[in-house]
Amino acid sequence: MTKHDQARSESQAGSVRHGARQPGAVYYSDDPRDIGWVRENVPCQTACPAGTNIPAYIWAIMDEAPGDSYEINREANVLPGILGRVCSRPCEDECRHGWAGNGDAVNICHLKRAAADLKHSGHRITESLYTPSGKGVAVIGAGPAGVAAAHDLSMLGHDVTIFEREDEPGGMLRYGIPEFRLPRDILTVELHNALRLGVELKTGVGIGNGEGEVSLTDLRRDFDAVLIATGCMAATKLPLKDDPDRQAVENTGNVEYGFDFLFDLHRGAVKTVGKRVAVVGAGFTALDCARVAKRLGAEDITIHIRTTEEYITVTRDEIFDAKRENVNFRGLRTPAALQTDAHGNLESIEFVQNRLGGWREDGRRKAIPIEGSQFVEPCDTVLVAIGQQAVHDFLDTEIELDWGNPVLRDGGMTSLEGVFAAGDYVYGASTIIEAVGHGREIAQGIDTWLMGRQRRKEVVRITEVDGPVRERSFDFIPRQHIPAEPVGKRCQSLTCEVETGFDSDGALEEAKRCYLCNLNYHIEVDNCIFCRACIEVAPKNCIKLVEGVDINEDGTYGELQESGEWNNVGAIWIDNNECIRCGACYYVCPTKCISITRHDLVTRDV
Amino acid sequence: MPTPRHHVIIGSGSAGFGAATTLRARDPDCRISLVTLSSLPFYNRYDLPDIFRGRHDWRDLLPIMPAMYDELGITLRRNSRVVDVNGTAQSVEFAHRETLHYDSLLVCAGGRGYLPEILSDYRPLMHNFASFEAAMEVHTALPKGGTVIMLGGDMLGLDLAFTLLDTGYKVALVTTPQTFWPHRVDDQLRGKLVAALEAKGARVHGDSAPVAVEEGLPGAPARRVILQDGTEISGDVVMPFCGLVPAVEFMLSAGVDIERGLLVRPDLRTTGENIWAAGDVCQIWSDSDKEYRFYHGWRNVREMGELAARNMTGSDEEFVAEDDGRIWLDKGSNICSTFWEH
Repeated sequence: MTKHDQARSESQAGSVRHGARQPGAVYYSDDPRDIGWVRENVPCQTACPAGTNIPAYIWAIMDEAPGDSYEINREANVLPGILGRVCSRPCEDECRHGWAGNGDAVNICHLKRAAADLKHSGHRITESLYTPSGKGVAVIGAGPAGVAAAHDLSMLGHDVTIFEREDEPGGMLRYGIPEFRLPRDILTVELHNALRLGVELKTGVGIGNGEGEVSLTDLRRDFDAVLIATGCMAATKLPLKDDPDRQAVENTGNVEYGFDFLFDLHRGAVKTVGKRVAVVGAGFTALDCARVAKRLGAEDITIHIRTTEEYITVTRDEIFDAKRENVNFRGLRTPAALQTDAHGNLESIEFVQNRLGGWREDGRRKAIPIEGSQFVEPCDTVLVAIGQQAVHDFLDTEIELDWGNPVLRDGGMTSLEGVFAAGDYVYGASTIIEAVGHGREIAQGIDTWLMGRQRRKEVVRITEVDGPVRERSFDFIPRQHIPAEPVGKRCQSLTCEVETGFDSDGALEEAKRCYLCNLNYHIEVDNCIFCRACIEVAPKNCIKLVEGVDINEDGTYGELQESGEWNNVGAIWIDNNECIRCGACYYVCPTKCISITRHDLVTRDV
Repeated sequence: MPTPRHHVIIGSGSAGFGAATTLRARDPDCRISLVTLSSLPFYNRYDLPDIFRGRHDWRDLLPIMPAMYDELGITLRRNSRVVDVNGTAQSVEFAHRETLHYDSLLVCAGGRGYLPEILSDYRPLMHNFASFEAAMEVHTALPKGGTVIMLGGDMLGLDLAFTLLDTGYKVALVTTPQTFWPHRVDDQLRGKLVAALEAKGARVHGDSAPVAVEEGLPGAPARRVILQDGTEISGDVVMPFCGLVPAVEFMLSAGVDIERGLLVRPDLRTTGENIWAAGDVCQIWSDSDKEYRFYHGWRNVREMGELAARNMTGSDEEFVAEDDGRIWLDKGSNICSTFWEH
């Protein structure tokens, strides 16, 4: 086959070959080129650990159907109202609108929240329920991973019981995240929605070997499968000089681990801080500690980080909001010692100045201490939030660990038959969306193991679309910032939600900015007269003359082989990576050879 | 015949302009692209207060006429926003979708005015003084004898404040921790400096922080600034002068180290290959202080640009601050600063 023939042939491959097209017609494809197309061309969805179909839910908001948008979210991430407030937003880092030259990323997360906030009261939740399987699954931990897994397992027909040590479900959502970021009524309703399919929730029940506790052995005896989703429930100890046992934090007054500080606060304890608060750490917990301290009356709050603001994992919005509340950030410093007076009371922290080093294996920057660069910062309270770790001492049967993390087989099973693990317990402290995504993935593995076969798989649903959905003018709408309470009001209370959310107009305006990357613009070469009109009107370098296209080993499309020589041109190809779905080419085409299909990655029964 | 090296300079302030002319002097054959967001060729930003003394023609501010760029063989690319730098491909990407390759890159993008986050919602109600066009907007918005409410009062702002007071305008200064930036002053000196400002005619509000900016009430001046203690200050124009934030956003994927500014060695090399930085955008390693330090002030910035250019063309020199960062009162109780010396 010549390159010319190949290009013509490939331009008709994948979705288009399924038959004559009619607007609204729907096809399903498990062709790796179609699945690969979605993975490559819908970067936000690919970046979402739960695989949320982001263009689809934003499209529903554009259609002024927030309830539909909410359901599209629920299908993937189970807790849209929660995640729309506190997600770490890996999708926005990959959003095509944020690529160089395209402007700012779409405010994806807050549109998720808008779907939850703006759906009608009495909104009807939809679930695809399977018939009862007769199998029982115990889930240990009612955090995001456990709840997401329990939801899916229950939907798949299994009888699920959650065992939760705390008095209320939610895990880090309830006990780790302050109410001013995540109102508890939203949390309660969404957890209830996730568990109302028949999940039995047993709170105040610890798993362990103590009195009144249930052992893992008991659970393995009473249930067909057990899922451990206990998260990371121990603060990482702060290493300091002359403190080999890492006990300085516990042994110094007015110094506390941020994780314990927040958990105690949300269990109902009365917490106090001094006027000058130093927070050591750089994650969401560190920022939450600083902002809680502000609301508890601290006047001078500084977050001390080992690297710099650019390299910490929290969202830019979180940093901005903390700064609005007068929280200071100081980079390139590592705590070396806690300095106390003669009575053991905290006086200051001794730091060592750092410089940036290379990159760690986990993708973060290294900080290299500079010899002889010690300096001191006075403070009244220190909150240490440098990470969390999983604990395993509640298990009465050992499981195989690798560097403190359980070793998982395919499907998420640990070294113990029938015992699975998910979420932060497996990989260490991560994000809520990662925990939800992993919980759902392991639920799928448990179902496959229990039922002896895979019951669901991913396919691409391809829908013929009757013309462009976006307008070129949408590309010039600036990113809409979510309204927030004034600093003076928000800081008066621990429960005053800071962000107030989009109204319907704001949500619609922001939704219009989405390129709807799940739309595939496609030129039918047989009808193309190579007039170049589409190339002339394209606002970007998105329509290309190609000799052929590489095919990757897995069957997906690779690089385009562009050509400047007309004799070698096999096809005119729309580069969907460059395309901003403005529709200009569609409207100008004299032969109407440009078609549009919508590609949604969905789960179907095998 | 070897291809001449292509030096790309981002930013045409005193560092960038000084670097471009130095490069040309040291390497007659090289290709130089001077990229600027500004619509105007290089002018000295320190001269902008002179607009209130009647210098309204932008051509009066130019140290060299635009035609001289051609004569010097410097390609001046105005109105060009850099959105990305690819350190591996050695290329600069513009907002208008052009890619420009370089052999060596000097980043002199400077800084933009810092606005405390608590005031960020009120940006549309404020004026800045970052360009000739912005300065002219202030001049147009300010009625004769009108009042400027200055938030912060860094050394750039105070330079303007003295000109305004000298030319019949009123200045209400709301002090913040950034007042006198980049100087760090203790409470005693601060008190004396504030007294000197008041003696010059500035009305100083130092007891409470600004928390909001509002439209003026009907019949009153156009703006109101509300302080934390509830005090309201009326004025015609509100201008934040709270120091500078390095303009580094476009460098985030360039593979160079960033803290607040671009981190550079004393020879002004960044951690990216063939990338240098100079001026307000960079933090220079100080072996004596064991930290990366900013060096502001016109003389430092100009020297950095020229030094970077020398090092890009074969020298191996380290930066030594021209300006030691002093602020003091002279015998006549006038505020003096090395920041203003040029």
